[in-house]
Amino acid sequence: MLHSEPPLGEGIFFRFPMNPFICLNAVITCLLLITSPIAKADTPPKKISLSDFPAAAVEEVVVPVPSEIFAVLDKLGNPNWKGQLRDGKTRTPEDRARIALLLGNVIAEGFVAVEAEDAERVKELGRQVLTLADGINVRKSVIARSKSITDKADQRDWRGVRAEFDGALQDVRGAMQELNDQDLSQLVSLGGWLRGTEVLTSIVDGGFSKDGTELLHQPELVNYFDRCIGSMGSRLRKNPLVASIRDVLRKIGPIVSEGGDKITPEQVKSIHDLTHGVNQQIVEGNIGN
Amino acid sequence: MNFLSSLRLSFGSRKLKNRFAVIALALAAWSPSLVHATVDDALSFAYESALPYYKQGFSIRKDAWGGDLGVREKKAVSSQLFKGNNYWFLMATDVKGATLSVHIYDDNGNLVDAESWQKGRFAGARVSPKATGTFFAIVQILKSPEDRTPWALVYGYK
Repeated sequence: MLHSEPPLGEGIFFRFPMNPFICLNAVITCLLLITSPIAKADTPPKKISLSDFPAAAVEEVVVPVPSEIFAVLDKLGNPNWKGQLRDGKTRTPEDRARIALLLGNVIAEGFVAVEAEDAERVKELGRQVLTLADGINVRKSVIARSKSITDKADQRDWRGVRAEFDGALQDVRGAMQELNDQDLSQLVSLGGWLRGTEVLTSIVDGGFSKDGTELLHQPELVNYFDRCIGSMGSRLRKNPLVASIRDVLRKIGPIVSEGGDKITPEQVKSIHDLTHGVNQQIVEGNIGN
Repeated sequence: MNFLSSLRLSFGSRKLKNRFAVIALALAAWSPSLVHATVDDALSFAYESALPYYKQGFSIRKDAWGGDLGVREKKAVSSQLFKGNNYWFLMATDVKGATLSVHIYDDNGNLVDAESWQKGRFAGARVSPKATGTFFAIVQILKSPEDRTPWALVYGYK
């Protein structure tokens, strides 16, 4: 349950380096796409066998950005977002794995604060993002984002704030990958997913609807996170908090493998309790409680 | 060149750009015809093909996926999509004369494109998931003057 951005969000169209040759082609492309009669599609088979795609022919699951999920939640009504907000300020832990998880957690919390339209909380979370990023040496990557979060919260530009939190998540992950910290980068995503899932299940539990429950049907994503932990270095894999999260993922996996319409209110509550417990560990560091 | 195949791209990455520089040099030494055909160029085109959808209010993901494929070779990109959102998947290559396709299938292998188009080195498919779950964007090079054709895929949602 994690990540993305509205319109100009990432500014990708302007940041991506292009040579003049490509620019010219791009302009022609856009003109062709806009002005040509409807481009004809090829005729794909109505059904394929996914077994024809061995692992080597399948790219890993694309982890959704938080905005993708919040975009759906926006359409499901107006739950009590303020009631979902977590109190208090987090302290930067020493354990880098926990910092990464907490960073993802805090970014996801930012989305909740945006939904609650709580400008002060949004600004506080923007500052926490910066502090936590400092703890894992990627502060530089989010300085501008943190400032933009504050500015846009002051302007109550909630869509803009969402874009900045999405961007912060992606920038932090990108910076970590540049530092060859892929494992920690995955933990940031995982931390965001865990907090997002806790909130989602709380909302669904508060007003159980099949449409809301649908959002929990994420089997491949849960397996993906499990695989990610499995492929981490042994020190990280054996980190008690990471190991605890893996246990939780393995309990959630079978539940979310059910079709969205088959997940019961009791199962929603169970996912909520599991994610709530592990998020408390991330925030408070009381592993094993 | 298979090392390109499973490359997952996050642009703006200096490391990746360096990697492409090394790849470009290697390709230049091996085949002059491939100097301009790289995955990052393909990605530029993929983002450009997303521009009209961005203008329609779709948020375009910064993450992108790409590699290189032989003619008629297919690859699946698995995605978690949510009922209630609309998605456009956009694929491109910078190889002139190449044609490619992208179509979306659910986890039972059923085609779920709400609409799709294919125009030379660009292709797009839209899906409005009827249920939340795992979906597969199946990308394919239909025709190309090159043995291996770099491709890139991006997606947007609203």
